[in-house]
Amino acid sequence: MTRSMWLVVCIFLILPVLLLAQEQAIPPLTALNIHIPGPQKIAPLPPVVVPPDNPQTALKIQLGKQLYFDTRLSQDNTISCASCHNPALGWSDEGPTSLGINGQRGGRRAPPVSNAAYLPLQFWDGRAPSLEEQAKGPIANPVEMGNTHEVMIRTVDHIPGYVEEFKTVFGTDHITLDQIAQAIAAYERTVVTTDSPFDRYVRGDDGALTPLEKEGLAVFNGKGHCTACHWGGNFSDGRFHNLGVKPSASGKEDLGRYEISKNEQDKGAFKTPTVRDAARRPPYLHDGSEKSLESLVEFYNRGGDVRSATLDPLLVPLGLTQHEKKALVAFMARAMNSTNPEVAAVKPPAAAEMPK
Amino acid sequence: MLRIKWFLILLASLFLIPGEGSAIPAFAKKYGFNCNMCHTAFAKLNDFGQRYRDNGYQIPGQAGGEKSIFETPPPIALRAMTGVTLYDGPDGTTSGFNIFGFDLLAAGVLHKDISFLLIYTPRIDEPAGSWQGPENSANPGQMGALEAVNLVFSNVIQDVLNLRVGKFEPGYHPFSSKRKYQLFTPYEVYAFTAPFQSYNFDDNQIGVEASGHFRSGLKYSLGLLNGTGANPDNNTAKDLYGALSQTFGKGDGQSAGQRIGLFGYYGWQPAKITGNLIAPTGETAGSDNAAFYRFGVDASLNWQTLNLQALYMLGQDDKKLNALDHTQAFKYSGGLVQLDWAGLANNRLVASALYNWVKPPDYNLINKVNTIALLTRYYLGDWSAVNVSLHAEFQHRQTGELRKVKENLGALALDFAF
Repeated sequence: MTRSMWLVVCIFLILPVLLLAQEQAIPPLTALNIHIPGPQKIAPLPPVVVPPDNPQTALKIQLGKQLYFDTRLSQDNTISCASCHNPALGWSDEGPTSLGINGQRGGRRAPPVSNAAYLPLQFWDGRAPSLEEQAKGPIANPVEMGNTHEVMIRTVDHIPGYVEEFKTVFGTDHITLDQIAQAIAAYERTVVTTDSPFDRYVRGDDGALTPLEKEGLAVFNGKGHCTACHWGGNFSDGRFHNLGVKPSASGKEDLGRYEISKNEQDKGAFKTPTVRDAARRPPYLHDGSEKSLESLVEFYNRGGDVRSATLDPLLVPLGLTQHEKKALVAFMARAMNSTNPEVAAVKPPAAAEMPK
Repeated sequence: MLRIKWFLILLASLFLIPGEGSAIPAFAKKYGFNCNMCHTAFAKLNDFGQRYRDNGYQIPGQAGGEKSIFETPPPIALRAMTGVTLYDGPDGTTSGFNIFGFDLLAAGVLHKDISFLLIYTPRIDEPAGSWQGPENSANPGQMGALEAVNLVFSNVIQDVLNLRVGKFEPGYHPFSSKRKYQLFTPYEVYAFTAPFQSYNFDDNQIGVEASGHFRSGLKYSLGLLNGTGANPDNNTAKDLYGALSQTFGKGDGQSAGQRIGLFGYYGWQPAKITGNLIAPTGETAGSDNAAFYRFGVDASLNWQTLNLQALYMLGQDDKKLNALDHTQAFKYSGGLVQLDWAGLANNRLVASALYNWVKPPDYNLINKVNTIALLTRYYLGDWSAVNVSLHAEFQHRQTGELRKVKENLGALALDFAF
């Protein structure tokens, strides 16, 4: 037998041992990520999935809406959820980042509440696994509503109108933090897009989009690479990407998802927001650094600004022409705007409708 | 004259097809993306498409969640090219409608970080490859072949190590001859072979390749091959190759950023083939191995939607492999310069100019080649998973030195894939 044949025999003897060792390290098939939702085609939104432990009821949704707009949840009665997630401002705020109590400015922009029900993780860094958990966060954040959960619960518990409503909805005498969060989340699950020019177009109404918007849709789904992240019904993968955003003027680096995951690859990565209603809530990106849709498109067209070790490989210069940029902006400026009243025409409850 | 008239009517009707539609197929069918997501214009990959290919047909930056082929529509696509040519050569002028090629493609993710690619070109008997006609069944217009069949093991080490096993387009091709715009003009320096040499730089090869990229913009590929294309190997020595490239700026040098690279191939061919020892897998014993090599440099420069590609390559076969003169090695050089431009919305119009040359040794100047090719392609729409393009290409090819042979080819074709 030749020397090379001996080598082959040795490999065949060693290989099973190596494979056995490797087998111990491989998780079972079902545990691998390949079975979690991956890229989806852009389409109308499916119905919202409601968690079994927080079923939707009309009274709970009404209670949630009252809480959402109630400034009494904050420490100094000035800030409500709607202060930063304002329906009139695309369920976000004027920016560039959010203003909390005593005029304090946070480091990030308010993510939109509309269609947040479709995201698996909440906040820019995904630190909350549900709308319920998200609703609890800002109340006790010293830069946002500046309260404590205990004080806020006491406040609500001393408003007879709320006590009565909570008893009707949850059947208990004492209001809890979870109940407050569940009610707010139940309301937020109604703030979803059921109609927009884009939805009408994909359902067969060819006239729902202008020729320029159709061109913009083609750019969005092709040369613009937008759907590589802004996919599915919610135009968001719900994942985290480092887009190469410049550090803020203060020079302080926001590490984004890394703060939660402690995974080096997540440094500077932030959650993909929905594109639905984007035109209603400038400025853009997690820090509000891009003032308009036009400047946002320019940002992506140059492939981001900062080339760091964790820059997402999806970011490449796009080579868009002026006409393609114009078409892309046209598509996002109107075609993605929700027209159903649950998103587009929500008014705060009148003072008389608020629990006393 | 009547034929030309009908052709012009057909041509005019194609432009009247409205620029909207819906579609199907392979990767684009899986995601619902338009072709421009991965292609500057079909079939040339852009940076995103290149990264997608490098990542084993999984979207880069989207770890996990890729649907396997068992969760998507059948990952099968077809590509065909048909049209008319006008050829003017030393022996006269001809023209004819023809089928220029037909490919069956299948590709997709089998499991996280394990994917496959299969390209089969079926045998086409009609129209025949030459005037002898198909009746002798040895004259097909296209040979049946497995152009590619390989498995890709991606991210063995995240980004840095990917393995490709089977028959594939080797990483030493800085510019893909399979995904270029030209349908009728090969990269001559790829296609050139020394007389009676079996190695062809342009062929897909069977073997194994390791490749990867680093955040700095450095990419590499290393491979071990038979080096005999689809033919059985006839020696036990395997051929080696390597390629390195560095991209400056954002992008991968396909459609953005500036890329320079170098590549090299070192192989062995038997100077003698005894032919009396045939393995069950078809290999014939050869002896007296002699070396040959190819190496070169390349650059790909981008400005807006202009892409300039240039390559220079040197080749040398050992004197034992030189069938023309056993006293010296067979040395040649060649290269290409190509300028591609994309325009109109979503790059629906492209134009390309290619200059190609090969300079063999003085005693083989009959094989000296200079080719110029000009083309334009117009895409009837920017659709998801359907691509129909109208292709016009002109080629002027000049071979030989003392007695130059000049050929001109004009072609109008429909290149469609779905």
